[in-house]
Amino acid sequence: MKLNWYLLAAIFIGGALGTTVRYWINVQTLFTLYPIGTLIENIAGSFLLGILTRYVLHRKPHEAWKAGLGVGFCGSLTTMSTLAADAFMLAGENSMLASSLYISMSLTGGLLTALAGFVLADRFSKKKEAVSRD
Amino acid sequence: MIEILITAFGGGAGAVSRFMLGAKIQERWPEPPIPVAMMIVNILGSIGLGIFFGAMFEGIPIYEYHNPWFLLLGIGFFGAFTTFSTFSVEAVTLLERRKYKQAGIYIMLSIGGSLAGFIIGIYWFI
Repeated sequence: MKLNWYLLAAIFIGGALGTTVRYWINVQTLFTLYPIGTLIENIAGSFLLGILTRYVLHRKPHEAWKAGLGVGFCGSLTTMSTLAADAFMLAGENSMLASSLYISMSLTGGLLTALAGFVLADRFSKKKEAVSRD
Repeated sequence: MIEILITAFGGGAGAVSRFMLGAKIQERWPEPPIPVAMMIVNILGSIGLGIFFGAMFEGIPIYEYHNPWFLLLGIGFFGAFTTFSTFSVEAVTLLERRKYKQAGIYIMLSIGGSLAGFIIGIYWFI
């Protein structure tokens, strides 16, 4: 990947949008007094990037779309620094158990949905290929 | 509305910075045994968020959604500079290729490193 201006522009726009959605989910879930927002964002973003990662293998969209949606949108919808802050906060305000549980849910949720995204995109692409062969 | 613009701007800048630093690391180390680029970015970004929270709030801010600095740097820049989706996809890719040991090390270092980084960052300035 070369550092083209249109790639950087696509990543900036995708990043701004992904961050806006993350902000919105955070604000909507503030009342729960639990960092459920970050958990939702990290799991949803892992699922979307799972789909996208396999989709681009099969369909090869333009680099700018790939970068804008993957690096930009999914990359910024999800966050590791806030996850670290949330886990630290839970360990202090609740318990180490609450903190470990939060990390485990993020991990299993993120990995399983990324895998589900892989499987879904592979299946969908195979169907499309079969149709186009007919 | 202004809150969204500030957050979005910080996020766009964070995403571009993540991409550029990631590309630099990959250029220096093209074939690492585990995908180190986003791991390093995540650890650095977590240290950064820790320093910011410690220096500005002396702890974890919760009800700061009207503070422009919290939005620009906390939610925006550091939130978007670090990422979880790429981490998930890279971990699953390692597992799929049956590189279980690398996957285990990668997951432990990414999560543990980011947590440790954040804690070091926040205690640095509290």
